Amino acid sequence: MNEKEKIDILTERVLSRFKGREIDPKEVSKRLKLLIYEFKVPEDEAVRTVTNYLLKELDVPREEIVTESPIKSISEINRAGEWVSVKAKVIQLWDTDSPNLSQVGLAGDPTGIIKFVIWAKSRKPEVKEGKSYLFKNVVTDSFRGRMQININRNSDIIELDEDIGLPPREMELIGALVAIQQNSGFIQRCKRCNRVLKKDVCAVHGKVDGYDDLRIKGVIDDGVNYYEVILNQENIKKLTGIGIEEARRIASEKLDREFVLEELRKKLLGYYFRISGSKGSRYFLVKEIEFLSPNVVDDADKILSETEKLMEEI
Amino acid sequence: MDILKREIARRVFAFELSRSNYATAESGERSPKYILTPTGVKCNRVFMVGVLLEKEEVSPDSNFWRIRVSDPTGVVTGFVGRYQSEALESLLEIEPPEIVSIVAKLNLFQGETRNLLSLRPESINISDRKNRDFWVIETAKRTLERIKRMKEDGDRNDDIKLAMDIYNPDLKEYLEIVKKAVEAVREEAEVFAERGKEVSEAKGELGIVEEAEIEEIEETEEEQKDEIEKRKIEELKLDSFEFDEFEFEEEEWDLSDILDEE
Repeated sequence: MNEKEKIDILTERVLSRFKGREIDPKEVSKRLKLLIYEFKVPEDEAVRTVTNYLLKELDVPREEIVTESPIKSISEINRAGEWVSVKAKVIQLWDTDSPNLSQVGLAGDPTGIIKFVIWAKSRKPEVKEGKSYLFKNVVTDSFRGRMQININRNSDIIELDEDIGLPPREMELIGALVAIQQNSGFIQRCKRCNRVLKKDVCAVHGKVDGYDDLRIKGVIDDGVNYYEVILNQENIKKLTGIGIEEARRIASEKLDREFVLEELRKKLLGYYFRISGSKGSRYFLVKEIEFLSPNVVDDADKILSETEKLMEEI
Repeated sequence: MDILKREIARRVFAFELSRSNYATAESGERSPKYILTPTGVKCNRVFMVGVLLEKEEVSPDSNFWRIRVSDPTGVVTGFVGRYQSEALESLLEIEPPEIVSIVAKLNLFQGETRNLLSLRPESINISDRKNRDFWVIETAKRTLERIKRMKEDGDRNDDIKLAMDIYNPDLKEYLEIVKKAVEAVREEAEVFAERGKEVSEAKGELGIVEEAEIEEIEETEEEQKDEIEKRKIEELKLDSFEFDEFEFEEEEWDLSDILDEE
């Protein structure tokens, strides 16, 4: 891409936000060129600066300018610093300790999964796991080599009635649960933000009332790779028979919530599982999980015949 | 903050583990320690499902336990102390013989005649026959993959070259071990399949008997090792302060669990 083409694209990007208003494209291009090639300002900053200049110049309130960023599918997001809109389903919300962040998690559409970051300053209503949203006017970003979308003050989050599908490429894993990590077991979450409470304290909202939940953050290892997984209440109940009610009973009987984790550990740690789901940016997203029922005789026969073959070759 | 990569728990039969006596010399204090096995896999952590044959407190009230764990190919020794609190807690509740799953780091003690490998369990849990059978199957698969890589002359990586230089393993011997292990669980699985579900609930006692038989072959060798180990432990206890520090450093290396939070 030569200089002129690049400036043309960026000019178009600026103009697209001022539809219906008369703006001289040459003026925009000139300013962009000056900032980018003379002053070596990063492209995004140049676009933002010129946009801000126009807002002031034309005396339009920020809310009024057309903020229809193009709707993109997640697989199309591969450059940082673009304004886009994304229709996606919130797959998972992560715990965040930073007061600057409102919510962080994963969202997906049929083409992929991407991390999203909702900044506290954006003052957006909270999104819920499993619901689909139009993330309007969000900025793409690259963090440690992975794409993510940032929801800022100028973005909108609109709940959709339709259910956005997730990538079909499901994986199946067979591996052993080799570790159960901190903040697992019979936990309490903040009623306001769903973060896991540590000693009754929410990282953002301080000392609050919590609600009970069961979850396991663990590591599945097959001897070649490892996958971090999160098992939710439903997964745990299916595998161990321990649901919220049972967990409450155990905790009150033993006067110790930690005892629930102890029980879960005994039932799960070191066992093999068959898991289907999809690989997120950090966690493997569990759809189905069950204890492995191996067909030992068949597997053994396969290995024995391969062993025979190798014997002959050596 | 980037997350330190977690060490994969390798699958290695006891036969091979007990013959692993080479620690890779890594540069830098913080780099994890690896044990190179004869078929050329560098292990920092292993996962095993086998039979806990014995547990024994090294000296009364020391809370430092020596365990012996067997799979169909042999026996490995492990030591559980107060720095492995999760493993220690579970160990105290388990009465051998019992099928257990173990996730462990590896230690190499400098023996008088040679280096001796032992497990330092991070976690121990009671397991079952089905789980043990699959571990044998999986470990057999992984071992075969490694044997194949050693056999191929072409793209050998450095670990395999190094293993060849150090151990010059008899690959046929390792194939025999894989065969022996797989046959052991296959026969048993067939018997259980015939006898039906009722028997399969009976905690896999058959498995323990079989393993004990195979183990006898190893017994004399094992006893020699035990002697050396006992001596080693005595030495360590004489200098317990240093031992503690050594253990602490070891813990420091693996921060994955601590740094793991978002």
